Amino acid sequence: MVNLPTTPADILPFIIAVVTSHTFITLVIFPGFIHLTIVVMFLTWYERKLLARIQLRIGPLYAGGPGGILQPIADGVKLIFKEVMIPYKADKPLFLGIPLALVFLGALPFAVIPFGQHWVIANLDVGLVFVFAVASLFPSMILIFAWASNSKYPFLGGLRSLFQQVAYEIPMWISALSVVMLAGSLNLVQIVNAQQKIWFIVPAFLSFIVFFIASMAELERLPFDLPSAEPELVAGWFTESSGAVFMVIFLALYMKLYLMSSLITVLFLGGWWGPAFLPQPVWFILKALVVATIIIIPRGVYARLRVDLLIKVGWTRLLIIALANVFITVVLLSTGVLSAWGL
Amino acid sequence: MDLSVPPDITFVVLTTVTLLAAVMALQAKELIYGAISLAISFIGIAGFFVSLDAPYLAMLQIAVYVGAVVILILFTIMLVRREEADKDEAGETGESAAGLWLAGLLAVSIAGIAALAGPNLPATPPPANLPVSELGPVLAGAYPVPLIILALLLSGALLGALVLAKVDR
Repeated sequence: MVNLPTTPADILPFIIAVVTSHTFITLVIFPGFIHLTIVVMFLTWYERKLLARIQLRIGPLYAGGPGGILQPIADGVKLIFKEVMIPYKADKPLFLGIPLALVFLGALPFAVIPFGQHWVIANLDVGLVFVFAVASLFPSMILIFAWASNSKYPFLGGLRSLFQQVAYEIPMWISALSVVMLAGSLNLVQIVNAQQKIWFIVPAFLSFIVFFIASMAELERLPFDLPSAEPELVAGWFTESSGAVFMVIFLALYMKLYLMSSLITVLFLGGWWGPAFLPQPVWFILKALVVATIIIIPRGVYARLRVDLLIKVGWTRLLIIALANVFITVVLLSTGVLSAWGL
Repeated sequence: MDLSVPPDITFVVLTTVTLLAAVMALQAKELIYGAISLAISFIGIAGFFVSLDAPYLAMLQIAVYVGAVVILILFTIMLVRREEADKDEAGETGESAAGLWLAGLLAVSIAGIAALAGPNLPATPPPANLPVSELGPVLAGAYPVPLIILALLLSGALLGALVLAKVDR
């Protein structure tokens, strides 16, 4: 609680008080704006480097820093100075506005993701539902952007992206249900607190598998990258984007990658918990980056699924396994097997 | 720094946005803009739920209505050809019959809630900021009849959608 300044002499202390307040630091520095920007830029470089190593290439090298780590900045400058091509008869406001909305939606859920006991912007009681609610807005945005491009490839990619994301949301929600039952709360801070003795990956292993696969499908990562299948659809729903529009979409996609990695860390990998020699946020970011690595690696290794297999896996395998794990969790909780870990 | 706004201003802003978006949804020339306005209107309603201390309901409002229903609407708009969509179909017998059936079902449901559940409802409503874990017991324990009638209403809506789809073919 800081009082508004009344005299000119109060302005400097006021600014200092605002800048050092918990709200400002969590919102702007960590885990807010600056931290997100740096991690997302790092992830773009990291993915290129990792894929290059898998394919026995070198990857970015000349942009400065060790291993060309300043490549994202060079990319950003290049993309900003490129011309933004707007397709003939495209819907201009939507074509330019939706990418910004995507970045906003990708960053919004980080308001409730706890990076440490006190490193959370908003300790919301319905945090998990908030994340899912915001994430469920992505597919419609993507479809609208694809439609606004007024081109066939983006529209096909948008439709694919829509049905894939909507279909895989269901196993994702249901697999998160067992975690909610184990923790007895939808509050993400309480979910992590409940994992102090045992990470939920152990009692809810099937859920973890389902959630992981479903989040790869949500992220349109290989082997689920049908929406942006390069040989058929060029780049899927963002084929027509160029220059700054492409950069913004790219940022939104990597924001979502980091979001899903963070969510898996919160729900299954014990969030910030780890040996005390490192601070809590460091543990959290390390775990999230490991998860992101595992999500990225298949892009250099596996082939793409067929559409029918994608649907089949989602509805006849993942959904059943997720439901089965809900019943297993009920049995585990009601028989008191997990009482040794305080669950 | 106290940034909290007095609740009446929140209410005014939310009402304005929701109603304007709803009007836009009906008036928009381009159907896609109508769907987007509808989504904004739904988000406004979620804002009402937040200001009524029901954040869980607000989140589900966004996930179900903005996340799913709007997608269905977008699908319909994009898959139905323009000339078909522009054709004025009001007054066709099948459609108005379905409308009458649905209106009747709605009236019967509301009358049913009033007649069956009215006398049996608990005298005091549950507290506004109920924890999510209490929501199920309260809904199924104190309000079983309204819950069942709502389920009936939803099935009625589903049947109505089927009827409408059949008229189209």
